[in-house]
Amino acid sequence: MAKALHDYSIAEAGKMLRSGATTSMALTEHALERTKTIDPLIDSFVLLTRERALAEAAAADAAFANGIDKGPMQGIPHALKDIYGTAGIRTTCHSKLLIDNVPTEDSVVAAKFKAQGAVMLGKLATHEFAIGGPSFDLPFPPARNPWNPAHAPGGSSSGSGAAVAAGLVRMAMGSDTGGSIRGPAGYCGTVGLKPTYGLVSRRGVFPLSYTLDHCGPLSWTVEDSAIAMEVIAGFDPHDPASADVPIPDFRAKLGRSVQGLRLGLPRHWFIKADGASAETLRAIDDAAGTLAKLGAIIEEIELPDYELYNACGRVILLSEAYAIHEKDLQTRPLDYGLYTYLRMGTGAFTSAADLTQAMRLRRELALALNAKLKACDALITASTLTPAPAFADHDPKSPPNFPVQLMPFDVTGNPAMSIPTGFSANGLPLSMQIVGRAFDEPTVLGIGAAFEAATNLHVRRPAFDVARAA
Amino acid sequence: MPDTTTDDAALTAEFDALAGRAGLSIPDDRKAALLQGYKDLKRMTALMRQPRTAADEPAAAYSILSVTRSI
Repeated sequence: MAKALHDYSIAEAGKMLRSGATTSMALTEHALERTKTIDPLIDSFVLLTRERALAEAAAADAAFANGIDKGPMQGIPHALKDIYGTAGIRTTCHSKLLIDNVPTEDSVVAAKFKAQGAVMLGKLATHEFAIGGPSFDLPFPPARNPWNPAHAPGGSSSGSGAAVAAGLVRMAMGSDTGGSIRGPAGYCGTVGLKPTYGLVSRRGVFPLSYTLDHCGPLSWTVEDSAIAMEVIAGFDPHDPASADVPIPDFRAKLGRSVQGLRLGLPRHWFIKADGASAETLRAIDDAAGTLAKLGAIIEEIELPDYELYNACGRVILLSEAYAIHEKDLQTRPLDYGLYTYLRMGTGAFTSAADLTQAMRLRRELALALNAKLKACDALITASTLTPAPAFADHDPKSPPNFPVQLMPFDVTGNPAMSIPTGFSANGLPLSMQIVGRAFDEPTVLGIGAAFEAATNLHVRRPAFDVARAA
Repeated sequence: MPDTTTDDAALTAEFDALAGRAGLSIPDDRKAALLQGYKDLKRMTALMRQPRTAADEPAAAYSILSVTRSI
């Protein structure tokens, strides 16, 4: 039986577009209709750019008809977290402060998708300024988890995780400063890739923390993240962090065996972590077992204490975020949502010495991780430590601390991908991370693809009570 | 037994002084939660105070190449 149109991956839909089996218009109209039906249940979009999407779909179909093929995203619907600047299209960061903000220029990532003939379906919910959420005191409601809308999708790329898991788009762009791509990917059961720091330009994306911000994709399959990386990776001399390095073939290791790969497992990080669920831990051990059966060599390794990585990253993040928002936090504090204010306001209390110590520690921690990666081809470790928490469990007066272990690789800048490992007893996704050497995304993606093929977890989709959406 | 009342009062005074220095006028209903965030921050900054070698220095935070290449 043929799959529903939204269940075809970017790779599959791309083949269908090129063979004439479907059109970009059909893909786009299907996505718009599905979004109209399902999004009222999960609030993943803050803006649907319907007319633009239909025009871009028509342009993509015309290009195919004229033998013009600009690349793998041509004609494919996608969406952007609402911190990516989009020329002529409102970019709010999910905040009252930017509710009327219409950029005049595209972010580099948005421009790259546009240049390739991709179809932008709209802008996606985020935690306010990629830090404060999930909140009910903002101009838009928080995104909800498609597997159970009473639960959060994680953040801050909350809408990106929700939209991909719900099959509204095959790929959405997120950003990751302390885990904001990988957390929602883990909670929503999608793939989420935080690329190496500097591999994807951040220009035109509203900053949270200059030295920790990363742009990357969330997608339903590993291959689709590789395809997105083909479009967005590249040197940008106007992004001070951009790395002038050769761009790898992101699909080079898809379909390859993991036989003989040495995978480090820093089990001591997560095995006794506060709040870690037994199901999550068991799923990571099972995943390690699966990779071992596929021929990988799993080796437990010791790294510096997880809390050091976390403290280092949080002190840098809070300091830099406060510097960016200082004036508004001083002069219009009540225009921020409560959670945003409480998180960012903490940055007012870091000293110059605190920040300098954090930067010194950062180098030490990055050296320690990368020393281990000389002996290992990659690491596997925890991502989200529990299934997605319920909204009802959040304290309305204090921002939630999502139980995750994601910050270390923002601190070090190494590529890290969250990938599903199974489901909890109550049907919520579980996850782990695959972490690679700097600029070695192909190995991370290759291991992820091998695990995905062995487990086939991606064939399971959330079910929706669409009657409630009417 | 430590005098937690005095400790809490001292911490609150320190918090108020730093907030004032930062130019923050903290809404009353947000003060208790932000103070809790400050306590957590102090835990983290204390954790980072460990012996380091001279090699652990942050000069890489500034790159002259990233300036000149954009001109």
